[in-house]
Amino acid sequence: MTDAARGSCIRVRDLTKTYETYKRGSTFAETVRSFFRRERIEVKAVDGISFDVGEGGITGLLGPNGAGKSTTVKMLTGTLFPTSGEIEVMGYVPFRNRARYVRQIGAVFGQKSQLIWDIPPSDSFMMNRAIYGIPKGEYDKRLGMMCELFELGEIVNKPTRVLSLGERMKCEFIMAMLHNPKVVFLDEPTIGLDVIAKQRIRDFIREMNALGTTFVLTTHDLEDVEQLARQVVIINHGQKVFDGDLSALRKTLGDKKIIRLTLAKPAEGLEIPNAVITGRDSELELTLEADVSKTPVSALLKNISSRCEFTDISIKELPMETVITRIYQDGSAPIRG
Amino acid sequence: MAIFGECFRISLSTAMAYRANFIMVMTILFFSNTLFPLVTILIYGSGSGFPGWTFYEVLLIQAVFTISSGIGEVFFNGLFWNTNFAIRDGLFEVSLLKPVNALFWGVVSSIQPTGISVVLGGVAMAAVALAHTAPLTVASVSMAALLFLCGVSVTFSVTCFMSAISFKWVGNSRIPEMFGSILDFAKYPQDVFPLAVRGFTTIVMPVAMIGYYPAAALLGRADGASFVAIVPCAIFSVFAIWFYQKMIHRYEGVGG
Repeated sequence: MTDAARGSCIRVRDLTKTYETYKRGSTFAETVRSFFRRERIEVKAVDGISFDVGEGGITGLLGPNGAGKSTTVKMLTGTLFPTSGEIEVMGYVPFRNRARYVRQIGAVFGQKSQLIWDIPPSDSFMMNRAIYGIPKGEYDKRLGMMCELFELGEIVNKPTRVLSLGERMKCEFIMAMLHNPKVVFLDEPTIGLDVIAKQRIRDFIREMNALGTTFVLTTHDLEDVEQLARQVVIINHGQKVFDGDLSALRKTLGDKKIIRLTLAKPAEGLEIPNAVITGRDSELELTLEADVSKTPVSALLKNISSRCEFTDISIKELPMETVITRIYQDGSAPIRG
Repeated sequence: MAIFGECFRISLSTAMAYRANFIMVMTILFFSNTLFPLVTILIYGSGSGFPGWTFYEVLLIQAVFTISSGIGEVFFNGLFWNTNFAIRDGLFEVSLLKPVNALFWGVVSSIQPTGISVVLGGVAMAAVALAHTAPLTVASVSMAALLFLCGVSVTFSVTCFMSAISFKWVGNSRIPEMFGSILDFAKYPQDVFPLAVRGFTTIVMPVAMIGYYPAAALLGRADGASFVAIVPCAIFSVFAIWFYQKMIHRYEGVGG
């Protein structure tokens, strides 16, 4: 392992990926024109991002559609060449030592299957056993352990094409992790799954993480992030806009709480210091967003009690969805975690 | 070899998953490949022919070409379609995730057992042709075997080129036709072509080695030029493999 990689498992510096594409237009005239003369355009999918991932962690890579998450993951897996910048994963430069490097990692792409469609997953597993040269005893033990975690039973012996999406995704995880990789990249691993299948996959990730596997996942499902990720990196327009832990992410908009209030009687012109009414479901049901860094919760409660009569109250964290949405809408202004 | 064996087993299982399709593909490939010398039969049937070559000698060239194509069909022709589709659909990263050489993986994951019927068709044609030509000698068979291996390497190299071009011409399904028209030159005696064409098919893109040279060796018509033609084959193969590896760098995936 090189010195640079000693402090962290993954080290990314000024990573950039630029694609060259052609502007074709949408109208018939533009299409015909582009057939003879195409306008070349440069697209910066990833624009100079840097971050580190600690060994044994779970890092969530978030961003709106087209932000550059998947491109970043592809470069991290060594399957895409960066335009510039540095990547080191466990001391390997992925795109230089690809064949040796990918032996140490696993990857699950939610929309790209590694299983062979017409035959059972067990045959695909056998193929991976041959490719990675996994000894029989180790293979049987690891396959048994993972099948048990996923409660797969005989499912692995049915043709892949007859499996449900959830069953298939579980098999994708086994396929990616049979060779006991140290780092696993997950690109939208819970996409399209029902809540039970999602939870089973999250449990599996947690179990494997407890055994020492480092995970990097991209997802649009914030439940994945809240339940799994310890570190969050947010990318927008190809640039990093946040890098820190979950509690820091929640506090990017200030130390805010959501207060749901059920009033005993209507209170016209209600005003609470350092709190704004953000929702009004009915005359009696209000939602407030309060900045508790300015007014502590106890003082806030006193303020509310003195200004209105209420029959019920709940105080919650600012939903992650709200935090993320505001960061996405904010554009690419970097936020310190 | 373990990877190759496992991939062959998987390919056979995949092909046999649909029994009717497996049997139909085998049958169609066998007959379509044994009937392709129909043009040669028509040429000779009408009283014309290739000067200095009997019908059965030309049939032998075409039989050797078919066997070589059949071997390609079984072991590596699938590389083109797999690469072409994977690039277009953005699935090529799945191949790059395997801890082996990308070209090797492309080849072993593209094995098509049904191609064996093309080999059988070629063997049947060769048997008919050889029954009507001069008897074989140990020397002619050894020489033909060596040249045949070179021909197979040229077939493989052509597939590599076609696959590599797919990284640039994404989704172009007409690439095989383009190369196929050049490969057609390998099915006929080379001395019927002008010198420039012969130079192209022997030195620049040595497709003549696929059918003509090995068949000429079997017929005892090989000369020094046949052995010299091995050199361009080796260069062509090395260049094709290098070109494929180089073109992988152009892979850009598709949007998520």
